[in-house]
Amino acid sequence: MTQQISAAPVLSTPETHIFEDPTPIVTPANTVPLSDDELFEIYEVERTAREVREGGWSRIALQFPDAMLKDGPRVSQALEKELSRLPRPDLSASTGKNATVEELETDISKLSTNGKAERERLFILADTSYGACCVDEIAAEHVDADVVVHYGRSCLSPTARLPVIYVFTTRPLPLSPLVSVFENTYPSKELPVILMADITYNSHVPEIAEMLRAAGYTELLVPEIVHDPGSIIPNRSVDAELDIKDYSLFHISDPPPSLLLTLSSRVKDMHIYPTDTQAEPTSALEAQTSRTLRRRYGILTSLSTCPVFGILINTLSVKNYLPVIETLRSQITTAGKKSYTFVVGKVNVAKLANFSEIGGWVVVGCWESALIESSDFYRPIITPFELGLALMGDEERVWSGEWRSDFSDVLKNPPPEPAAQKETTELSSEKKENEHIEIEEDSEEESAPPEFDLRTGRYISHSRPMRMKTVTSESSKSEPTSASDVLTRRAKGDLATVNGIVSPGAEYLRTQRTWTGLGSDFADVEASDSIEEGRSGVARGYTVGEDGERR
Amino acid sequence: MVNFTVEEVRQLMNKPTNVRNMSVIAHVDHGKSTLTDSLLSKAGIISAAKAGDARATDTRADEQERGITIKSTAISLYGNLTDPEDIKDIVGQKTDGGDFLINLIDSPGHVDFSSEVTAALRVTDGALVVVDTIEGVCVQTETVLRQALGERIKPVVIINKVDRALLELQVEKEDLYQSFSRTIESVNVIISTYFDKSLGDVQVYPYKGTVAFGSGLHGWAFTVRQFAVRYAKKFGVDRNKMMERLWGDNYFNPHTKKWTTKGTHEGKTLERAFNQFILDPIFRIFAAVMNFKKDEIPTLLEKLNIKLSADDKEKEGKQLLKVVMRTFLPAADALLEMLILHLPSPVTAQKYRAETLYEGPPDDEACIGIRDCDPKAPLMLYVSKMVPTSDKGRFYAFGRVFAGTVKSGLKVRIQGPNYTPGKKDDLFIKAIQRTVLMMGGKVDPIDDVPAGNILGLVGIDQFLLKSGTLTTSETAHNLKVMKFSVSPVVQRSVEVKNAQDLPKLVEGLKRLSKSDPCVLTSISESGEHIVAGAGELHLEICLKDLEEDHAGVPLRISDPVVSYRETVSAKSRMTALSKSPNKHNRIYMIAEPLDEEVSKDIESGKIGPRDDFKARARVLADDHGWDVTDARKIWCFGPDTNGTNLLVDQTKAVQYLQEIKDSVVSGFQWATREGPIAEEPMRSIRFNIMDVTLHADSIHRGTGQVMPTTRRVLYAATLLAEPGLLEPVFLVEIQVPESAMGGVYGVLTRRRGHVFNEEQRPGTPLFTIKAYLPVMESFGFNADLRSHTSGQAFPQSVFDHWQILPGGSPIDSTSKVGQVVQEMRKRKGLKIEVPGYENYYDKL
Repeated sequence: MTQQISAAPVLSTPETHIFEDPTPIVTPANTVPLSDDELFEIYEVERTAREVREGGWSRIALQFPDAMLKDGPRVSQALEKELSRLPRPDLSASTGKNATVEELETDISKLSTNGKAERERLFILADTSYGACCVDEIAAEHVDADVVVHYGRSCLSPTARLPVIYVFTTRPLPLSPLVSVFENTYPSKELPVILMADITYNSHVPEIAEMLRAAGYTELLVPEIVHDPGSIIPNRSVDAELDIKDYSLFHISDPPPSLLLTLSSRVKDMHIYPTDTQAEPTSALEAQTSRTLRRRYGILTSLSTCPVFGILINTLSVKNYLPVIETLRSQITTAGKKSYTFVVGKVNVAKLANFSEIGGWVVVGCWESALIESSDFYRPIITPFELGLALMGDEERVWSGEWRSDFSDVLKNPPPEPAAQKETTELSSEKKENEHIEIEEDSEEESAPPEFDLRTGRYISHSRPMRMKTVTSESSKSEPTSASDVLTRRAKGDLATVNGIVSPGAEYLRTQRTWTGLGSDFADVEASDSIEEGRSGVARGYTVGEDGERR
Repeated sequence: MVNFTVEEVRQLMNKPTNVRNMSVIAHVDHGKSTLTDSLLSKAGIISAAKAGDARATDTRADEQERGITIKSTAISLYGNLTDPEDIKDIVGQKTDGGDFLINLIDSPGHVDFSSEVTAALRVTDGALVVVDTIEGVCVQTETVLRQALGERIKPVVIINKVDRALLELQVEKEDLYQSFSRTIESVNVIISTYFDKSLGDVQVYPYKGTVAFGSGLHGWAFTVRQFAVRYAKKFGVDRNKMMERLWGDNYFNPHTKKWTTKGTHEGKTLERAFNQFILDPIFRIFAAVMNFKKDEIPTLLEKLNIKLSADDKEKEGKQLLKVVMRTFLPAADALLEMLILHLPSPVTAQKYRAETLYEGPPDDEACIGIRDCDPKAPLMLYVSKMVPTSDKGRFYAFGRVFAGTVKSGLKVRIQGPNYTPGKKDDLFIKAIQRTVLMMGGKVDPIDDVPAGNILGLVGIDQFLLKSGTLTTSETAHNLKVMKFSVSPVVQRSVEVKNAQDLPKLVEGLKRLSKSDPCVLTSISESGEHIVAGAGELHLEICLKDLEEDHAGVPLRISDPVVSYRETVSAKSRMTALSKSPNKHNRIYMIAEPLDEEVSKDIESGKIGPRDDFKARARVLADDHGWDVTDARKIWCFGPDTNGTNLLVDQTKAVQYLQEIKDSVVSGFQWATREGPIAEEPMRSIRFNIMDVTLHADSIHRGTGQVMPTTRRVLYAATLLAEPGLLEPVFLVEIQVPESAMGGVYGVLTRRRGHVFNEEQRPGTPLFTIKAYLPVMESFGFNADLRSHTSGQAFPQSVFDHWQILPGGSPIDSTSKVGQVVQEMRKRKGLKIEVPGYENYYDKL
């Protein structure tokens, strides 16, 4: 030991720890506060107020990403001011015209109580449950909001319940260097180029396009923003018949990785105009996606032999997330594997590492946040699209570099049922009669062959623990349900079973965990050799053993 | 025509005392396959005229083309001893009649394929070691011999290519004798180095008949015993006495007609008995035939009682020599006699091999069955390799029955290498479809095969990747997994040229990893399909097979890459500490280098995770100077639960420690699989858990909190302990004439090679240079060497050890090692800079 521990080992956590706030303190990045005018401009207070008024909504939730939260109160105030400034079309008209004195009196009281309800109420939502890019409908429903105003960059995923006003909080962008970089990148003016910007810079796009067209670019394509992550270019309107394979893409600001991967196989090449640098950028970076894509391929193939999947719900608002979860479940079951469904709120390493029996995670989330690229996670995390590939047999899997992030495709074309599965169902009718008995005897049926794990190059023996499920579930259905009136002994093995199959999660805990509760730690400790008689007597002189020798 | 039938073979199988399972092992180009031919011709499998040229056991086209053996090939032969006197000479074991079944496996000699040798040795009991007269004992001779002895396999030796010594080097008789005796001595040195008490003394001596001399190419060979038998009749003495006199310092004094051990008589030198009685007739035949002394030949032939056919008499020169020698001293006779007399039968061999073969206790039914070679015991069968069938994608499982009897339709338990009794992992139940007899490139169906024999199985190939145990006993443990002397250290990544071909590539990779005992296929974290092999040649053959045969699609193959290991070179300079995400738990850890000997012992299986912890602690304390209490508290080995990194619990009185052990162990496996420097596996690091503080509520010290923390603290401890990168190093042995040595040294120096031994082979101008050469520098080494020595140097490279990559710290991006690391990180799509320990270290 090089270093002695100075203090005696602490056997429990000191209580000071419990009250310490473990979350790191976030220092606000941007210390210069915005002026009121800037605030008004950036947060598009005027447009928001108008839309709210037009929609006739009265309870408005304002959702800020963490970085903008500090502006929240001021935006809320400004919005309130703006709303009160705007005329209220029908309400004031109806009250003003045919009002008697009496009525006026009651009206005043109405104004104070009822009128307050008529006036728009604003709520600031912070600490979104999942991602800042998604609309947090659940939080908004807690305050019974009619509408959500979403600030900051957004994934524009269609929502299920509430109307949303998006405020992209436009950031400033000097245009002339951009144009010159564009010209350097594409010297040929006839080259077909798609011009696209990150959502926070999108307001500059028409202007830039104008300047570029003036500079002589004829084949410029400037798609509009739409709410459709499943589009060829996610969230941008592209003519469906147009083949964008020949187009280059010029993207202003760093795109999120999922956009990068999605587009990489769809356009000819991509250049990214950096916006986070201090100095004016002089060139656009060519996007390199092949490594990331390969890494994704490595991850998904490593999951092809994984027996237990966790479906991680990372959204509660994206349209169709429930049907997708259903589809995923049935996909996993069809492949003879087991799935568990999890909702953990914001995903982090510690939360997922708690479930060590899970071999791989599938994230159901908005199209941007579903791609979680980090090697810190104990088990890989994949998207529903990738799961489709991972579950595909090795004989069919083709990796063309095409990558999708949006899960609506998973719903549209569910993968064909694996051939192996059909076989089992066919067999089931023949086996039905003796199936029941065989399982109880822990039958010595011929086993299914193991699967080759591509990642390690070894055989994995139990990659499809639920393969027998269809067979047994049928036989168990035919059983009379007489269990209620007699006590039944627990099946042998003492493990939870699902339709006659030992639960893979329980099996994992039984075989992989050495700690099985108090007392199990003493298993390794050697027993003392033999019992010897100790000392006895009084302190003046003890007697040791039988011979009565005094010490 | 084959002079035996499958029925005859089957009959012989019932008499395990008359079975000899043997492999032919040697250095590359010492003539194994050629020599095997003469045995095959004797059995009538190939014609006598072809023997020596056909190399019938080289069944693949590329083996014939390149002239080297790549896969080991098994063949069953029928042999018999006609003379009842001979049968009496089989000492130490029982025999039943004069008919014998010889199951022979011809193995490759090139080091890159020595995993094939290992697989062959496992299923045999004896080995025929072939040594070249001129080149003598080479590096691969030693390697295979060591492996054989490690498996408790009894060797006999044949000194081959004696014709070259006579024809090319024109040596004198005494020089030849000296050369023989030197070679035998160096073989014996190796044998005695790896002495095994249970196997007994297995050194080889010509006067005991365990050494033969001959020429595979010409198809002749002899043992001292054969001559002793001839002369014993002539002189009317006991042949065993005669045998002893025909080797060593024994002289026949023609003046006194007495035997003596003194080399001189009245000032005149006497001729050594070996030279006089054995070499003399051979030398005379050579002289007469090669000098075209037509008139001398018939008298000589008559004297030696050699009868030639009319056709053969017409022949001249080498052709005649071949015929004469082959008739005079047929190689097959000498070999068969030596094999039958001196190699153990399965009954004999399994008595002492049982304990080394079996993982379980020595007194259970399986082990007793093996020990007694009992055909009625529960089946114990070891599959040592997979042999491709003509049906694409299917394989014969090639193995040996150690106990019980295997037959078609028998339902067996197939236990993969990771099977542990009582668990379901790697255990399958399946009926054997068919059993076959392996006959070189062909197979013959056979109904059943009893204990002690080698066979092929049909219908279980999907359950075993490379090797495994088959049994009918529910309690049986595994037969020990083979340890290879080579490791797959050279790798290349492959990708399909056409994305649609990917499924074919994947299928091809599966087949490839089945068909070769050593090759590893995997997908790296960065999504590349990697094929790893023992050396450049091995990889080249594997990839050729993959592209042309297994996958059958065009591939893009990267340049060879070396796989590195991450290690530490000192103790952590301070105790690393990491806190869990909720900050309620802390782990203190120190990393220190593990002794190279311990790592080697772990790699060779001497110290393993499955050992009894007390026995293991004893070994560590006695052999490696560990503290016994530390040694008893090894939590686990990693990566993959059997790697060369250890996690040692050195805490005192930490509550709840057992509870988090599983989480810590998984974190350890994870971290050692992908180190902090470049996500390469770690090697040879000992991690000591110094202290742990845990939150009192179990919910706050769950896996989610502890496992990522363990990984972080392991990384921090590693980065604090002067991390280094280990590169694999080849041991290169180069045979080169003195004139070309300068070129060898030049090439080696340029490639960071380091010569540690240089020896002249006595009696030849050849030098043997031994050097260490980093694998990274070895790509294109052979070609380079050839061009700088005008093709006179023959290198053999075999993986030897790991060494720290010199040139600075991997953390320092300006150093040479730093560059290598950055290159690697870039390839893997990681952040270029190695993260500092601060990323993983938490302040108290």
